[in-house]
Amino acid sequence: MRSDAPSGLRVLGRSIAGQRWLVAGSSLLAGAHQASEAMVPVLIGVIIDEAVSTGSTDALLRWIAVLAGVFTVLSVCYRSSARLGERAVERAAHRLRIELTERILDPRGGAESGRLPGALVNIATDDAKRVGTVNMALPATVSALAAVLVSAVALLNVSVPLGLLVLLGIPPLLGVAHLLGKPLERRSEVEQDRAAHASGVAADLVAGLRVLKGIGAESAAIGRYRQISQESLSATLRAAGARGWHDGIMLAATGIFIAVVALVGGRLAAAGDIGIGGLVTAVGLALFLLTPLSIFAWANRMLAQGRASAGRIASVLAAPPAVVPGGDRLPAAPRGRVRLRDLSHGTLRGVNAEFAPGELTAVVTPDPAAATDLLACLGRHVDPAAGSVELDGVPLSRLDPGEAHTAILVAAHDAALFEGTLLSNIALTTPDPPLNGTSPGSGGAASGGVVASEAVVASEAVVASEVALETVVASEAVVASGTAARAMAAASADEVARALPHGAGTVISERGRSLSGGQRQRVALARALAVDPPVLVLHDPTTAVDPVTEARIATGVRELRRGRTTIMVTASPALLAVADRVLMLSEGTVTAQGSHTDLVRDDETYRSTVLA
Amino acid sequence: MPNDPPLSSEAASAEAGAVDAGSVAGRELLPTATTARTRAVVRGLLRERRGQAVVAFAVLIAATASGLVTAPLLGQIVDLVRGRADPAAVTTPVVLLVVVAIVQGVLTAVGVSLVARLGESMLASLRERFVERALSLPLQQVEGAGSGDLTARVTGDVSTVSEAVREALPELARSALTIGLTLVGLTVLDWRFLVVALLAVPVQFLTVRWYLRRAMPLYAAERVAVGAQQQQLLDTVGGAATVRAFRLKEDHVERVTSRSWAAVELALRAVRLMTGFFGRLNVAEFIGLSAVLVAGFVLVRGDVVTLGTATAAALYFHNLFGPINTALFLIDEAQVAAAGLARLVGVTDLPTTQPAPANDRTRPGAPPSANRSRETPSANGSPTGGLVPVDASVRVHGVGFAYAAGHDVLNEVELAIEAGETVALVGASGAGKSTIAKLVAGVHRPTTGAIVLGGADAAELAPETLRRTVALITQEVHVFAGPLADDLRLARPDATDEHLRAVLDRVGALAWVDALPDGMATVVGDGGHRLTVTQAQHLALARLVLADPPVAILDEATADAGSAGARTLETATAAALAGRTALIVAHRLTQAATADRVIVLEAGRVTETGTHDTLLTTDGHYATLWAAWSAPRHDPVA
Repeated sequence: MRSDAPSGLRVLGRSIAGQRWLVAGSSLLAGAHQASEAMVPVLIGVIIDEAVSTGSTDALLRWIAVLAGVFTVLSVCYRSSARLGERAVERAAHRLRIELTERILDPRGGAESGRLPGALVNIATDDAKRVGTVNMALPATVSALAAVLVSAVALLNVSVPLGLLVLLGIPPLLGVAHLLGKPLERRSEVEQDRAAHASGVAADLVAGLRVLKGIGAESAAIGRYRQISQESLSATLRAAGARGWHDGIMLAATGIFIAVVALVGGRLAAAGDIGIGGLVTAVGLALFLLTPLSIFAWANRMLAQGRASAGRIASVLAAPPAVVPGGDRLPAAPRGRVRLRDLSHGTLRGVNAEFAPGELTAVVTPDPAAATDLLACLGRHVDPAAGSVELDGVPLSRLDPGEAHTAILVAAHDAALFEGTLLSNIALTTPDPPLNGTSPGSGGAASGGVVASEAVVASEAVVASEVALETVVASEAVVASGTAARAMAAASADEVARALPHGAGTVISERGRSLSGGQRQRVALARALAVDPPVLVLHDPTTAVDPVTEARIATGVRELRRGRTTIMVTASPALLAVADRVLMLSEGTVTAQGSHTDLVRDDETYRSTVLA
Repeated sequence: MPNDPPLSSEAASAEAGAVDAGSVAGRELLPTATTARTRAVVRGLLRERRGQAVVAFAVLIAATASGLVTAPLLGQIVDLVRGRADPAAVTTPVVLLVVVAIVQGVLTAVGVSLVARLGESMLASLRERFVERALSLPLQQVEGAGSGDLTARVTGDVSTVSEAVREALPELARSALTIGLTLVGLTVLDWRFLVVALLAVPVQFLTVRWYLRRAMPLYAAERVAVGAQQQQLLDTVGGAATVRAFRLKEDHVERVTSRSWAAVELALRAVRLMTGFFGRLNVAEFIGLSAVLVAGFVLVRGDVVTLGTATAAALYFHNLFGPINTALFLIDEAQVAAAGLARLVGVTDLPTTQPAPANDRTRPGAPPSANRSRETPSANGSPTGGLVPVDASVRVHGVGFAYAAGHDVLNEVELAIEAGETVALVGASGAGKSTIAKLVAGVHRPTTGAIVLGGADAAELAPETLRRTVALITQEVHVFAGPLADDLRLARPDATDEHLRAVLDRVGALAWVDALPDGMATVVGDGGHRLTVTQAQHLALARLVLADPPVAILDEATADAGSAGARTLETATAAALAGRTALIVAHRLTQAATADRVIVLEAGRVTETGTHDTLLTTDGHYATLWAAWSAPRHDPVA
């Protein structure tokens, strides 16, 4: 049997099956809609025949009433089928979007490997929508079949030879259209790529506007854009010419086809084999049938697109996890002893080291790749190639990755901030807007000042909006609870909050882009400290911070983490100076260890790495 | 209670370059053109292509008109049959039908191509004008509007207008022509057919009004919801590693779910609206069609028209269903495009540059540059009759600055940097360092006092001259999408490959550039090879060397690179600044220590100035900073 990793076809099948009732209902109604559409030209013929040419008022009224009935059915069926179908499309796309998000965020990881965030987002939006659209392609196919069926019956009823002429003549006509359309489609793809390129270049130049202005390169940039725009224009014009001829040839071919139908029908009518109404019906249906047949072509295209998109979605859903969960459990309250045993991964060559519970250790390495590899192993983004990372004697690879994350938190150098208030970014346990009933005023004396000033700064926001009010109330509660406030103070993030217009209630946008680099770093550090994990690993937490603040942060981290295991991967002397012990990691192994002062005195590599 | 004064809050966030999404209050969006002005611009674009436009529409009208001959020809066949003519008589109208089909096909092909050519060339010249103006806008104005405003226009509005020109415009033109000419055709058959066909119009009018009232706000809300969904996905997916590390999965799945569902609900409301629209149009179709049939019935019975004419009228009207639906539906797309167009025209209509004060054009051609020979004015630079700095010195005289009136960020700042000197600006966050950098670079104008570059008041320099004199590099790194060499050539379009390599070598970047998959031809930036922050800053320094300005200002340029990267960049910076006057906003005090002079800024005022060594002896703020910085760096061997 196959594993539960979904293939493209299974993704597609599931997406249809998940909405089967909507799809079935929509198909039924769409069939009725197109059948009614086919009845309209038939009825025009009948009215010409039975009423206009005979002059019978009774017949006129009767058939106009029938026409009204057909229009009612047509309109009602169209509306309901489109609504049901689109609901099926949107729901299926929504489900896929959530499923993809869950897979990407899975603690075992692995889904992002080799894909840029933008590409993944496209899969979760565009591809999900295309797979969903297959739910509309099915009702469309059914409706087209119904229309062809009704038309065929009506035509053959008028005259067998004329009916056969129309029914057999249309497929070659569409074949011609298809042949003509193929190169056009390719061309328009090229054209779209070029147009997208031109607008991409424009957006890129605007995004780099400050950089351009900084070096006075605006006119060079304008010249470059003009050139690309003109290239895009000439590609577009070639494609537009092709499209013009495609439309023209289709019109001519359809016109000639109608002429042939008129010729045969007219001769049959003149010979008395069919009535005038039959002739009108035949001409009307010959024109009408182009619609259902182009629906077939559309549905076919949607199905092909949907299959391709389903394949892309399946490849994300089925991506092998980066780490394999094990079955062991951690003790309820981990002591936080971390041991690296012959750890080899990437640039690491058999690293042995121990981090005692409650110890503040720094790791210095001149090789950024070694730092990345070490952090990946500690954070369990990967399972090491050889050796192990043990927590309280349990190798991480024997734990569930989610559980490993509860015990060891790795705060990456480029950690992302998320949309929300500053406070909601730091006090993670509290949802936003949070009201978890912690009573204000129970905070420690140390954070009292913070509480007060923030409450005051934030209170300005109260006037601004009710939403802000909620945030303010919440921030008071959370700050009063102490953890977040102490973390903010230790990371000097309280200063950041004070500098913002609504204090800790200020909304951070675009992944923290609205903050400066130093502000972002301090908020991210405060967040990691606020989690208060048994083992905290910090990577270069203060690179964008001024020296005085950095020194304050070093002391703050030292104090706040007292009694908890902390590992800092950094080359900042201010942080190294507060560490209990510093490990020098060079050429993939630990080459020296000791206090910062000792290493500065004794180790040449250390000196050159740390003291630039 | 310490009522933390808003003054310092704003000053600090401004210094940090922070743009707060919440505080839209003081934001002044870029202008949007009035409808009249937008029309005038479109007319202007059309006037430039008057001949082309006339021919294109004439051909399209001829194409549509020829198509309308079909229905009467079919009617003629009906009459022939009814008149019991010889079956062979049918041949003549059939041959005519074939001729009409071919003529219509050819004319349509030519007409569609011509209309596309017209629309596309207008579009190209509009978008070029837009980008040109957008890139020439003063930064202060762009930042005042929020960078999102300009980005939204260049991505969203340009593509909305493009799609309208490409897809909607030709369809709309053809549908409108078909409708108009069919109505003419009905009149030719018999004027009474036209009158009864118009019975459908009140229903159509009410339907369109009903639809447009709901469509605009609904589609706007849908676009916002889809944008929010996209943003949330980018947030969540881009931060997946952080989400996992902090175990925020549930929270983020919930965020995505609620944003996605909001978008779904709005999409479904839009579907309901659209189906309601077409459903109501069905009513109009029925009214019109039955009215034409009844009119035919009455006219044939009264012997006013033949059965063939009545048939032709019915076929005419039945063939109108498609074009009417298309045209009415596109009205809404046309409105969206018009709104986008107004936002584009709003930007293209902005004045090119702030008008330079007229009084100081008098100083006769000052010598180019005493310090550096700069005989290559930029390709399309303005004539060099204007004011020109005489050397590479920088003076800041009594400068004050406030982002918001009354909240001064800088006060009476005095600075003097000699030509060729490197000065480090030091101070805590919020002291106003970045603001000074921006003022000297000409991004902002001082509220009081003056910036003097090489003896010339910066406020009176032509923008071109100003930009060739001072370059500003900030911590904001951007790698331009495309080959790496093209990125560098933005700074100097005529640079040869050898020149580029020499510059990369000078800033120490040649080794990693050569190690890229295609060397300097490697496609980098968005969608290409991803460069590290350090590499991106390396490129920024290479661009600086290529642009070769006499004065360079570096603001936090090495801050985000991590400790190892920062040192690499410091070496590169020193190489890039050699021979230039430089002002460095320094976080790493090693940069201050190696500078010729250090200026300490506290709360918007210069408090200390002097060499590194003298400042250490004065026991002031700098000495404190240095102590904090160097204590853990103390090297007992040294």
